[in-house]
Amino acid sequence: MKISLFAQAPYRYLPEDFEQNHESVCDVPYSLTTRQGVYSSIRDFMDELMFGARSGFDAVAVTEHGQSSYDMVPNPDLVASALAYMTEAEGLDVAIYPMGRSLGKSREPLRVAEEYAMIDVMSGGRLVPGLVVGLSYDSSINNGVPPIEVRKRFDENLELVLRAWREDTPFAWNGKFSQYPMVNMWPRPLQQDLPTWITGIGNPNTMQMCLERGFGFNYLSWFGAKLTGKRIFDRFWEIADQVGVPRNPYRLGFLQTVAVSETDERAEQEYGEHLEYAFRKGLGSIPMEKLALPGNIDIRGVQALLKDPADFGLYSQMKTVTYRDLVEAGVVVAGSPSTVRDHLLEFCRDYGIGNLHAMLGFGSLPRHLVMKNIQLFSEEVLPHLRDLWTDTEHEHHWWPERLGGSPSTPQLPANTGMVAAR
Amino acid sequence: MTTLNDTPTISEESVEVWNGRIAIRVKVAGAGSPLLYLHPAAGLAWDPFLSHLAERYTVYAPEFPGTSVGDPHAIHQIDTLGDVVLAYEELVRKLGLVKPVVVGQSFGGMVAAELASTFPDLPTALVLLDPIGLWLDQHPIANWVATPADKLPELLFHHPTGPAAQAALALPEDPEQQRAAIAGLVWAFGCTGKFAWPIPDRGLRNRLHRVAARTLILWGRNDKLADVAYAGEFANAITGSKLAIFDDCGHIPQVEKYDLTVQAVDGFLG
Repeated sequence: MKISLFAQAPYRYLPEDFEQNHESVCDVPYSLTTRQGVYSSIRDFMDELMFGARSGFDAVAVTEHGQSSYDMVPNPDLVASALAYMTEAEGLDVAIYPMGRSLGKSREPLRVAEEYAMIDVMSGGRLVPGLVVGLSYDSSINNGVPPIEVRKRFDENLELVLRAWREDTPFAWNGKFSQYPMVNMWPRPLQQDLPTWITGIGNPNTMQMCLERGFGFNYLSWFGAKLTGKRIFDRFWEIADQVGVPRNPYRLGFLQTVAVSETDERAEQEYGEHLEYAFRKGLGSIPMEKLALPGNIDIRGVQALLKDPADFGLYSQMKTVTYRDLVEAGVVVAGSPSTVRDHLLEFCRDYGIGNLHAMLGFGSLPRHLVMKNIQLFSEEVLPHLRDLWTDTEHEHHWWPERLGGSPSTPQLPANTGMVAAR
Repeated sequence: MTTLNDTPTISEESVEVWNGRIAIRVKVAGAGSPLLYLHPAAGLAWDPFLSHLAERYTVYAPEFPGTSVGDPHAIHQIDTLGDVVLAYEELVRKLGLVKPVVVGQSFGGMVAAELASTFPDLPTALVLLDPIGLWLDQHPIANWVATPADKLPELLFHHPTGPAAQAALALPEDPEQQRAAIAGLVWAFGCTGKFAWPIPDRGLRNRLHRVAARTLILWGRNDKLADVAYAGEFANAITGSKLAIFDDCGHIPQVEKYDLTVQAVDGFLG
């Protein structure tokens, strides 16, 4: 199994009553911050990722959130490029994994392709590129894209990005959302085939596209894996069966917040209040209408969600959630190393997960405790997870060749007239 | 004689436009010369105002592409507001409407104003009820698409708990029908939002001088979605237009000030 350190860059010093007065996205007042607080939140986040890169994780992973107090990363590629050079200079064989550059949001899709190509070169071929439709508020409020166009823009931009990476000769792009008379990126990616991942929250159409076209699929469970995991992963593997692709665990990634200490009790003492901060002031303070602006979800999806909102798990209670709630719902896996590894092993085995993204810093957790969490996880948990799928016949086609993977070319969509360049 | 509570017989036509890619569903009622009614962002709801108009006119009320039950993906066939205007002009021709009165509310008011700007000879008269389509930095149009459902009544109505507003906001009691209605409303905001997001200004100000039809502009003085300051903007931009502003009234005068609205419209249309 491949195990990543995933990190967000929350502002770590929000006032205690933040969630009673503010939302965490779009209009959250910047006057709540201090210059020192912002610097320290970002600096510690970068140091923690580098500590992870030096501690034996298979990847360091970040994602994209604009105008947000719970993750101050408007472009993950800025972070990823710094990590790419640092790790290359230090000779660290770790994947650089920007998990969700948003293509539904992007008005400059070629820039996304160029940034990823550049990071792949800087890292010597260690990029694992993640692409995502994008959160509704981020695409539409932060970047002005009409909600009903977000998915269409993603679909078009995805084809442009894949083509820009793989075509050897310049081509013209006449899209609905962007037009380029000549696409001829310098540099192209170092890897022959970039092992491309798409992140979703459970939309069966996205799952099906990943399975049909050979993208890895990431599920980021913020809503409580014990509540949503079975629904989501059973759905994924059932679609895999329908599509007719093997149940290869390496095609599936899962993000889990984890808190490790010496004992279960100590984990609660050390991490409890910071986990509550993270979920009350982060996800819990994003109002529902900003996650699903009218038009963003197809009408059939809206009807399905109104009838059965269970994919959203614990979301509706996040604003007042307690540590115990978070652990019970599986939003967080916390405890001693043995508690944590037993839980993660069982979960990944049960649902066929071959890539685990451990989020080990969260909310207001101070630097020394993030470092402790990373160290304990890397020394006492990670080694026990690594061999989960080693004795199976499956190969990892969604990981860079330099790091032991055997990536394959994503397929073009069935209904396109485009021809692959090679 | 039709009274406030009587609904006329409403028939439905489906008209293919846009080279057969969109079938626009049109509700038709009444008798007399033609009147085209363009509905607001929430979709078409037949209300007493339309019933009143149907007493003297044949009212044609098209459903915006994507907002018709069972045909939600029609919206993906049309991409720009300019193309919407062309599709509506085609609809008017295919319906055989000669010099119709054009009435539009809010989002529909913007479409009506665009239609009358692009095709100055198309309407015989134009009635705009709190239309969107212009932008003033000092009076930003409220973002109704991003407004949570429980805050919409106070955005739309000056008296959100009054009987008129409550009747306009009522949802079916049956849970299945209620879900369908909510999903339909959400999707209608999405479809119309395609041409109004993120800022409902697609350059109408540059085109309004082309309007040649007699024009009546009605506005609620307490409109929280589109401030009453826009009433003067429209009136100044459309030469010879008449303006009436209703006190104690929000964004939807034909609901909150029904009597004054029909009086003003009847007086104007003669």
